Amino acid sequence: MGGDIVLWMLGLLIILILLGTHIGVALAVCSGLGVYLMIGSYEAAISILGNTAYEAVRKDVFVVIPLFVLMGDFISRSGAASDLYRICDRALKRLPGRLAIATIAGNTVFAAVTGVSIAAAAAFSRIAYPEMKKAGYKQTFALGAVAGSACLGMLIPPSVLLIVWAILTELSVGALFIAGIIPGIILALMFAAYVVISVMHKPEIAPAFKADLVPLTRQEVRSELIGGLGILGLIMLVIGGIWQGFFTPTEAAGFGAIGAFVIGLIKGMRGKEILEAIYQAGRTTAPIMFLLIAAQMYSRLLALGGAVSFIQGLFFSIGAEPWMIIALMMVIWIVLGMLVDSVSIILLTVPIFAPIAAVLGIDPIAFAIFGILVIEAGLLTPPFGLLVYTVKGAVPDPSVTLGQIFWGSTPYFILILVAALIVLLFPGLATWLPDIMF
Amino acid sequence: MGVPIKISRGIHLISAFWTMALAVLIFGDVMGRQLFGAPIPGTKEILQNSVVSIAFLQLPLAIYSGSMLRTSVFADAVPPLFRKVLRTISAILGVGVFVALVWSTSDSFADAYRIGEYEGEGSLRVPTWPVRGVVLLMSAFVTLAYIQMIILDWQGKLMGELEAPGAIAPGNTD
Repeated sequence: MGGDIVLWMLGLLIILILLGTHIGVALAVCSGLGVYLMIGSYEAAISILGNTAYEAVRKDVFVVIPLFVLMGDFISRSGAASDLYRICDRALKRLPGRLAIATIAGNTVFAAVTGVSIAAAAAFSRIAYPEMKKAGYKQTFALGAVAGSACLGMLIPPSVLLIVWAILTELSVGALFIAGIIPGIILALMFAAYVVISVMHKPEIAPAFKADLVPLTRQEVRSELIGGLGILGLIMLVIGGIWQGFFTPTEAAGFGAIGAFVIGLIKGMRGKEILEAIYQAGRTTAPIMFLLIAAQMYSRLLALGGAVSFIQGLFFSIGAEPWMIIALMMVIWIVLGMLVDSVSIILLTVPIFAPIAAVLGIDPIAFAIFGILVIEAGLLTPPFGLLVYTVKGAVPDPSVTLGQIFWGSTPYFILILVAALIVLLFPGLATWLPDIMF
Repeated sequence: MGVPIKISRGIHLISAFWTMALAVLIFGDVMGRQLFGAPIPGTKEILQNSVVSIAFLQLPLAIYSGSMLRTSVFADAVPPLFRKVLRTISAILGVGVFVALVWSTSDSFADAYRIGEYEGEGSLRVPTWPVRGVVLLMSAFVTLAYIQMIILDWQGKLMGELEAPGAIAPGNTD
């Protein structure tokens, strides 16, 4: 009975989301309606909504979301990303396709101080793409490097997706952060290897060029020194602090936000820029927080209707093999990735998928990293890959088409899925660091 | 028409500075504990109550500025009038949810205020009515925002079919 209602509500939820209802509102409507249908009292349904609104995010761990978003916005607006890019560029002088590799390396480091991929995609579209174009790189190749490597932002801590996943599954935020490090680095190396191999294969897509030997002005040296050292210090403070057990994730987020603010000040951010960073951070945070609240209403509906065991029963009664169930999850994630944003995907699917994965005997931390990789891959798929649109919106070159970006990022899409399967087959890649932590 | 939007921007800024203040609080708490063995009492309680308040204080502007997460996959494929109807339905559902929140929160707010409901243990006990009050007020404001968005939409005043005029800070280009 309860299971039937939950299935109906899932159907309604999908319809509402497809029609363009705010996802948080759709979740709340379906939860309220579902609870009403199950217990037959509208007062009970409404009071569950009210209580959840008050209780859902009333834990200090939720402060990490606004604080890490704020830290990322300060860093994004401080101009530190272009310092990073130039430093990586010079350090990689001899490699084929070095501008593309510098984009990947820059993104890897940038990912360690920001929590959302979108910020990285926008920043590197403005910084790295014009450089690659000037050097005569093939357009699709350059665009793919920018869009593909932006995915690293969600895997390398601090990451909003890791936080949301940890909160939903009651894993430790700190452990999940640390779990993302090795898979993140592996993915970055795979991206770089792809660039090197394809450039060696077809040198014309990324012509080598002599770097201009103009010595840097003192101002440039100073700017790069501040940006580079500042970001390095921030990474050591935040990730190092969590790993050493010196900080809880909440404390690390507080220190990170202040550290990023100080870097911004030193790099010349003043009233207007600071205000804009703070303002933008709020615009990113509010919808995520509301989604988290609505998602807990939805998990109460799922719990009340016994949905998880019901859906598990459906899976196992058709005699599905474990690999088929995993494959089905991947398909659902990729399809959803074409339609909605990553946080919504996690909120919609993880309360159902994570218990099923646990029954299949998959380590919850490895499953989280696997899931986030697959969901991130969805951001690069047509027709609605979010990162692709971000790159299109931010690239200072009107001749770029969406098709070119999709085409250029296809290899990265495949590599991300390969990395996801590697984590699934070798869960130690995700679980080893958290195990030896503290 | 523009006044609620201006208010929502003001509230948004307050919550943004509040977030920054929390970072300073955490900094002070950890430093106090490490250097002087004296953490700031009640940090945890302040944080957990703040995060609910901040989330709700930022909601009205998120509605006005069209930042709420949604998908436009279907809407992009239909004619503008149909799209407008879909947006209106969506906003009406939003009104429904937040009216329900106002309704259920007003009872718990009134109770909390009347009986002086507290939480927390030891020396620091935090009354619950202020946060419940924020949830209540902001839910009412969000209801208004959704209604106003419907009106602006049918007057053809939404920018890019998404954003109320004046919802984004002037000079903010993203």
